[in-house]
Parts: sequence; structure tokens; C-alpha cells
Amino acid sequence: MLTYRSPIVRLKTTPTNCEDKMTGKELLLRALKERGVRHIFGYTGGAIMPVFDSMDKMAHFNFIMSRNEQGATFMAQGVSRASLSTEDPQVGVCMATSGPGAMNLVTGVADAQMDSVAMVAITGQVATGVIATDAFQESDVVGVMMPICKQTYMPLQADEIERTVHEAFYVATTGRFGPVVLDIPKDIQNQPVAEGYQFNSAAYRPHLPGYFYHPTPAREPLKKAVELINRSERPVIFCGHGVINSNAGALLQSFAEKNRIPVAFTLHGLSAMPADHPLSLGMMGMHGTVEANRAIMNADLLISFGMRFDDRVTGKLNEYAKNADVIHVEIDASEIDKNVATSVAINADVYRTLHVLVNDPMLTSKPRRRWHASIAESRQVMAEDLQQEIAKGTGDDGKLLMKTIIKKLSELTEGRDLIVPDVGQHQMMSARFYNYQTPNSWFASGGAGTMGASLPMAVGVKLARPKERVWSISGDGGFQMNMQELGTIMEHKIDVKIILLNNGYLGMVRQWQTLFFDGRYAGTPMLSPDYGKIAAAYDIPYRKVEKLEQVAPALQEAIEHQGAIMLEFICDPSEVILPMIPAGGGFNDMIVKRPTPARKGGKK
Amino acid sequence: MKRRAILAFMQDRPGVLQKVSMLIRKKMYNVDTLTVCRSRKPGVSRMTITLREDDEARVLQVIRQLEKFTEVISARELDTDHSYWREAAIVRLEIDPEQLDILKKDYTFEILDHKNHDCFFIQIAGSTRMIDAFVAQIGEEHIVEIARTGVAALEK
Repeated sequence: MLTYRSPIVRLKTTPTNCEDKMTGKELLLRALKERGVRHIFGYTGGAIMPVFDSMDKMAHFNFIMSRNEQGATFMAQGVSRASLSTEDPQVGVCMATSGPGAMNLVTGVADAQMDSVAMVAITGQVATGVIATDAFQESDVVGVMMPICKQTYMPLQADEIERTVHEAFYVATTGRFGPVVLDIPKDIQNQPVAEGYQFNSAAYRPHLPGYFYHPTPAREPLKKAVELINRSERPVIFCGHGVINSNAGALLQSFAEKNRIPVAFTLHGLSAMPADHPLSLGMMGMHGTVEANRAIMNADLLISFGMRFDDRVTGKLNEYAKNADVIHVEIDASEIDKNVATSVAINADVYRTLHVLVNDPMLTSKPRRRWHASIAESRQVMAEDLQQEIAKGTGDDGKLLMKTIIKKLSELTEGRDLIVPDVGQHQMMSARFYNYQTPNSWFASGGAGTMGASLPMAVGVKLARPKERVWSISGDGGFQMNMQELGTIMEHKIDVKIILLNNGYLGMVRQWQTLFFDGRYAGTPMLSPDYGKIAAAYDIPYRKVEKLEQVAPALQEAIEHQGAIMLEFICDPSEVILPMIPAGGGFNDMIVKRPTPARKGGKK
Repeated sequence: MKRRAILAFMQDRPGVLQKVSMLIRKKMYNVDTLTVCRSRKPGVSRMTITLREDDEARVLQVIRQLEKFTEVISARELDTDHSYWREAAIVRLEIDPEQLDILKKDYTFEILDHKNHDCFFIQIAGSTRMIDAFVAQIGEEHIVEIARTGVAALEK
């Protein structure tokens, strides 16, 4: 690409090299283009202006301005998460200026790190001459980001930029995915490259002697794993985020089917295979299904793929799956033996491991009739209560139940749509009661649990998968945390269906207060604005739903409507999501019955 | 608690020391000693970290998470049976020359400087325990200042 040259110095016979030379900002954008980046999310400012200026001239990227830098990080996450199962996987890129701009990225970067999402965050920095002088809008971005991302870079010469960007993309998208931060001083953005600068991105291989990952499984542990699987009477497969990230859902399903092994999902493993598959146990852990948690408790073998035994999954560690052997397939070696001691550790890519495992002739298939019979029994524990509750559709106060709304949505969309929940009670409802049919159709902030993630993330998901319908489901708390991104939705006419489950409380915390704090609702009641007026201000159609019979028509209208629409459902604040394993409790402490008001909060 | 030494090789880049120390803090340890030097290979530093921990598994966790850093090439634990752990110290003493002579029988040290009859600068190297014993035998009251390097370790 050419830089602008004034006609006066433009001499055809002697092209002045220094005029032709590319600058740091142009190299940055060229590298992003070569890496297949199409959307850039962000917010400009003093220290990143040069890059924005070149981006505008280049006219290649679809720039989406968020209304707060945090929004940009979740939009970028949405692109990375949703596109990885498509034919054109992209890495989400967000950009912000120095100081406050960069600091507003922090939450989204930490969130991406916790959830293993590849993302590249680019921040402007004050000029090298004034770094560490407390210059205007200066923050130590590298210092702040270092513990919460996969790698940080601060190029100090224009010549380094292209190489750094390519290395950043390599690091972000290999091994266990993660966010990478590039902090580029303003003068480096404008610096021309040195004489004779050359860079061949096709031939470039990063030099990283300390960066290892082992995609191929070793033979010995695989053999042992097969032995354990053959010997096992009561095995359970765990499907984690690694299955989604390596697109191994179909392989996992055929592995499970061939060996008749039930599958339990982590929060991020959802949608790897159809939720209503006969071998599916649903979600495990704190708000997991009875059948999943009972199966884990009684299992003699856990075969876990791409997950990290988070405390929300295991509960009390010393009671966790005491009698089970553990096969742990995980790309990140530091996760192996971290929380749960393994019998066989396979430090490898989930897809490649399953690819070998599924065709292993040594595996013997057993019908495991007794095991499946006992699982079928525990499927019945709450089934009737739940069915009744969902059918009733309203709480004691006559307000709507979230469960019913999600169930209805699932039926009307046949479980095919993309679901982007926020964080809280409605998230668990969405995880449990939507019948996921499309691979990689569930995008949630899990590890970090960032309220407000849904609305901006849905924007990114929609851009990555424009032909599919995207639902952003939020509570009244989370929605108000990033409500400003309605501006982005309005400006770019992004077709996101917004469901707002408004119960006037921070529902999940309220549930804990009901169960463990004697029903004292400290800091959870919340007054909401008139969302109808807010939607009108952003020119987004809005429906308020208060009655059960309005639920299906409203959802149907949203399904048929072209463009963004907002549905507010007035929900029952006393609704709880059960079963629940109290924090720090074991699987035996699982609460399956709603506590009666008399013994409210008595236990634990 | 048991003293552990972790040996790590890493790329000699700004910010690596910060990453390592941040990990140690995140894992809720207080660093006992930390020494960094150049290794035989250009561009690669050698770091020895000692900290106190009884639980083998937790040490392994630290090592695995160290190895996860892009810049860290390798890390492992060194145990006392199969490696030498040594440190050096420079001590400024105010002590009678006769008293120092007595110490010469038990300890090897070098006098760097001697002025005003009873003012000595000495250097001593050896195991942590030996230097501790030396300091104890001289007595705190004679020590004006002491600079210790922290542990450097090498496998046998």
C-alpha cells in the first residue's frame, strides 16, 4: 500500500525511499489483514489515532465502535468463539487507546484467559520518550495485563511490529487458546521501517524455544487409557471446552456411541453434541443435572476431554469421584493433576486423541445395561417436579418462570439457534433448558463469570455467523452493565434478538441468600428503568411480556422479525435453579427440593 | 517446612522476572531466595528459586505453570541429595583479629580488607547452613552488615 506523497517531492526518476517506507501502523494493519482479520472492534483515542487513521485509508476492515472498550473485548470474543467451528475461523481483534482505554479492556481480557478464547487486544501507548513519566493517559498496560493474558508484547521499533503481530496470533491460537495483548507506543506506530526492511509472512516461523504444546497423544498413556476403559463398568465421559475448541464434538459423539458411555458436559462443553442425545447426561457440577452428578459420584472411571476440573464442577475436592480412575485429556500440561489426581494423563489435543481413540481396535464395547439402568433411574429424580413447574409457567406471585420461557424458546427454534447468555440464574436456566442441536451454539462467560458479557458478545457472534439467529439472554442486572452497546447494535443494524428476564433482583445471589443467608436480600433488589423507552431511544422494537399466554407469540414475533428486537419478560424473583450443590459442598449435599419457607436458609 | 529449589532456564527478556515472581506470589509463597544469571547459551538466563513447601504436588504445579510461560524453556526441582546448593556472603565485621583467627580453623573465608585494627571485610561461600553457622558463631553483635547472594544450585 502507498503512503500519501505530496506532488512536489514526487520525482518519477528518483523515488525517495524514505517517502515510500511503510510505518509501524501500516505494518500492523497489513499483518492483521494477512491473518484474516475482517472485523476490528474498539474505541479510538490519542495514543491509537495513527492506527485508526491508516485503517480508514486502507478501507479493508469492518470497524465496529463499541460504546465502552469492555464491549469491544466481548465482541472480539464473540467472533473468535463463534467462528472457530466455521470454515473461516477468525481471531477477534479489539483496539483501544492508552490509559483508561486499555484499562477498560482488562475485564474482557481476563475473561478470555479464563475461558481459553483466542483474542488479540491492541492498545496504543504514550510515546517511548515519555513512558514511565506518568504522561497523560499513561498506564503500565503490560504490567497490568501480564498476569491475566497468555502473552504481552510491546514492540519498540517499527521493524518488530509485523513479526510481533504474527507471533501474537500464533501464540493466541495454538495450544490452549488465550488472549494476547500488544501495547504499541504512538511514536512506533508512526516510525518508518529501516532501510532494506523485509518480512515474508508466508515463510515466517516464530522462534519460541520456551513455548511447547503437544498436539499428538503419546502411545503409552493411550494404551493405558484403553485398558482402563475396557475394564470399567461405570464410566462417564466429560465433555469440556476443549472439545468445542478443537471441533471434536462429532468424534466425541461417535466415541460415546461406540462404547455406550454416557456424556456429562461442563458449562463450556454444552452444544458439542445434541443435548437430547440418549447418552447425554446434561450439564454437571453446581447446577448440573441430578443424573450427571449422581453418575459422576458412582462412576468407576471418568474420561475427561479438554476441561480443568473447576471448583464449580467438582465441589468439595476430597469427596469428588473418590472411587473413580481419571483419564485426563488436556492440551495444557499445567491443568493435569492440578485439582484432581489423574490415573492416566494424556497431554494432547482433544481432536487428535479422539481421532486415535475412536478407531482403536483394542477398545471393546460393552452394553453396560446396569449402569444405564441406574442412570435412567436418577433421570427421574427431579423430572416430574420440573415438568410440572415448566408446565405451570408461573410462580406463586403469578409472574413468569425463566425455565418456561427458555423451554418455549427451545421448542419454537427447535434448539437450532445460537444462544449467548449473560451470567447468573438465567444463564443456568439457558444451559439446562435449551435443547442444543447446532454444534458450537452456546457462548457464555464461564470461568470469569462477567456480568454484562452477553449483549456485546452476541454482536460478535452475529458477525461471525450472519446466517444464524442469535439470542442474547440477560437478566436485569447484567443487561444494565453493558446496556450502552445497544448503540452499537443500532448503528450497525445488528440482528440480535434480546431477551431480558427481569425479576427485579440479582437472581443468582438472591437464590444463595434464600438458601444460605436466611432470606436476607442484601444488595440484590434492583430498580430497573423503563426498558421500553430505552429500546425506543435506540430505535429497537420492544415487547413487554407479563402473561404466560403472551410468551410464545412474543418469541414467535422475535423469530420472524428481521433485525434487532427486545423482549422483556417479567419474572418471578423467587424462582430457583435446582439441583444445586452448595459452594464447597460435596455431591451428597445436592439440594433437589426447593426449601419450604419454614426451614428457609436453615442448612449450611 | 521443606525447602525446595526450582531451577529454570528462560529467555533473557524484560518482564520474565516479573512473570516468575508474579506466579510465586499468586501461588501464595514468599520467595526464600532467587538468583538469576546468564547461562552457557547466549540469550538464555538461569534462575534458581528457593521457597518453602511440604506438598510435592504443589511444587509440581508451580513448575508446570512456570513451564507454561512462553519464555520459560524448562523448569524442574532440584533435590538436596542430587545437587549442590551454595551461596556466598560478604560480611563487614568489627571483631578482634585473634577472635577471627579462631574461626579460621572451622571455616574457609577470605579477608578482603582489614582496617583500624578490628574492622574486617570478609567473603565466605558454602551451604546456607554453613553460612548460618558462621554468622551464629561470630555473633550478631560483631556483624556490621552482611550481604548474601541467595542460593545457586547445580546438579551433581
